[in-house]
Amino acid sequence: MSDAATIPDADTIPDAARKLEWAPRGAWAELPADGHLGTPGAAGTTITARNGLGIASLIAAEGSDDALVQALKTRFGLDLPSTPLAVRSATHALVWAGPGQWLLVADDRSGFADDLQALSGLAAIAEQSDGRAALTLSGPKIRDALAKGCMIDLHPSVFPIGAAALTSIAHIGVHLWRVADGPDGAVFEIMVARSMAGSFWSWLSASVAEFGCTLAATGRG
Amino acid sequence: MRITCPHCGARDVQEFTYLGDASPSRPDGLEATEAAMFDYVYQRENPAGRHRELWYHGAGCHAWLTVTRDTRTHAIEAVEPTKRPKAGTAA
Repeated sequence: MSDAATIPDADTIPDAARKLEWAPRGAWAELPADGHLGTPGAAGTTITARNGLGIASLIAAEGSDDALVQALKTRFGLDLPSTPLAVRSATHALVWAGPGQWLLVADDRSGFADDLQALSGLAAIAEQSDGRAALTLSGPKIRDALAKGCMIDLHPSVFPIGAAALTSIAHIGVHLWRVADGPDGAVFEIMVARSMAGSFWSWLSASVAEFGCTLAATGRG
Repeated sequence: MRITCPHCGARDVQEFTYLGDASPSRPDGLEATEAAMFDYVYQRENPAGRHRELWYHGAGCHAWLTVTRDTRTHAIEAVEPTKRPKAGTAA
């Protein structure tokens, strides 16, 4: 290596440049800004990057989830699903994540610490707000785009509103559920491990490109 | 091949990992004879036909499943959770 000439002398680096800048950054910070992706014209798909969600995994101790069920009912008005379903209130969602396991998702991270405190001792709780990356997917062609990698059937007859699934897309573990329909039909929420967000985006952006895609972002970064 | 997970429904086999024969149960390590441990660790039947085996749904619900499968045809007769939830649990 003969790059010595390009490495600046330590004495010449300004102090400001030496300081590491640790700033919180959303999982989708490197996504293109709001706009259009792929085939021009009317977009067949819409991807909304979800930022600022409060996310936690709940794992009930075997045979002792009665208190958890009651606490979730009292605080959020939500019934803990025992089958692959997602239930939601105006502000929170509970998503089945395997037998005896759930994800609690708050639309707004502020106040989430209090939510978790209220459940303290009732389940094994792991904060995942910065550990998962979430997108909302919609548009008339979204099922066609997802079908390029999703092995499960998302047809409304077998994947109605409220259905949830854990599966993999492009070898990436995904948590997928269907929320209330929007103006363009079915709306899916999808969550991947944050460390896989870049890889997932490369699959998703390629898969929706054919149909055209509107990109949007919501929430804080 | 598809495995119908009792939690998730029918899924492609690539979501699962195979462990092997579901029948051996571990002898008490302190009391077991060397011969019993040897059998438990190494000795397996290799049946042509009906076989009860363990599969892990790693890309799905992370549950261990006991699958009864015909090794000649891959026809699956039954899929059960390996660990049965105790009465009263939500899942």
